[in-house]
Amino acid sequence: MQRVWAVVLSVWAMLAIVTVLAWSYRPVSTAAPAPAAQTLVVKGPNGKQQFVVVQPGAIGATHATTSTSGVVKP
Amino acid sequence: MIRRLERVEFHAVGTTCAAAVTSAPGDSGRAKRALAAARAEVAACESALSRFDVTSDLSRLNAAGGEWLPVDRRLVEVLRLAVRARETTGGRFDPTVLPALIAAGYDRSFEQLAVRVPRRANGWRAGAEINVDAGAGRVRIESGAAVDLGGIGKGYAATRALEAMADAWPGLPGGLVDLGGDIALAGETPERGPWRIAIADARHPGTTAGILALRSGGVATSGRDVRRFGPDASLHHLIDPATGAPAQPGPLAVTVVAPTATDAEAHATALAISTPEDAAAHVALHPSIAALYLPVDGEPVELGPLPLARRMLLRAA
Repeated sequence: MQRVWAVVLSVWAMLAIVTVLAWSYRPVSTAAPAPAAQTLVVKGPNGKQQFVVVQPGAIGATHATTSTSGVVKP
Repeated sequence: MIRRLERVEFHAVGTTCAAAVTSAPGDSGRAKRALAAARAEVAACESALSRFDVTSDLSRLNAAGGEWLPVDRRLVEVLRLAVRARETTGGRFDPTVLPALIAAGYDRSFEQLAVRVPRRANGWRAGAEINVDAGAGRVRIESGAAVDLGGIGKGYAATRALEAMADAWPGLPGGLVDLGGDIALAGETPERGPWRIAIADARHPGTTAGILALRSGGVATSGRDVRRFGPDASLHHLIDPATGAPAQPGPLAVTVVAPTATDAEAHATALAISTPEDAAAHVALHPSIAALYLPVDGEPVELGPLPLARRMLLRAA
């Protein structure tokens, strides 16, 4: 009988260890590194320089880009 | 409700174009109609306003020898706006620079330009007379003059295309028309936020000089960084009406935000031949516009309250 209880307890102990290990496991992140903020040096109308940080989120999702018109290649 | 951006890209007005609308499930038919309307309107504008099409109303007007000519309503309207822009920019935007532009070498569609030595436009002067009879749908320009709408036409076409989308889809939640960087926009994005427009950094191709956040209006950029021609690509297409030659002063590129894309492009054209000091004075006179001026050398200059997205001012030096 003692042997049966020993087996039952050891099984429960092993399950508890596995549960704790599974719960505490943190997978290593494989996501791409977040883009860095972009610093823009802007000179105001009064001539003073201002340093402006455009946040990474602002850079990531734009709907269009304005630039001097490119030319369609024939 | 998940919304998404329905978008179409096409080639027109000598450049790459796009139109986009904010669309919810069930809006597919309305979105398609709106995008088709935008594309059709751009084609109609090009057909009426292109100087490279000898059958366009603009080409017929330039060949009319000073006579009144009934033309498409788009040409009537854009000439009215061009005359107004010439006044508000003190003549730095002038649609009658075409003879000087041709003399400088920009005498055909850009992709067909041959390399030839520039010459001066003999007898040309800025500020030629333009008459618009909107009621009768007719226009005239003084004999010997010729009009080029390159400094306003794409902005006007973008504005018209956005209106065409709104007409095709009453209650349009949001839309954007981008004609080679001249952009008209209104309403919401699929994320229910403002439209985010990147400003290409002409000093460092492939990078961004800032992100604008806008819910309505227009954005346009003009500069001497792209459309270059002539011997060793030494010339650009920005004619200074004061001299009749490619402008000497001016930025590498300038981006203007204005209530409409038409206004944005006309002001950008004017600022593209202006010194930083003149550009600052111009923007101060027109509180409805703001600009980012990228000098050939030095740091960008912010003129007016530019609606940059999510920026954080660290310090003023």
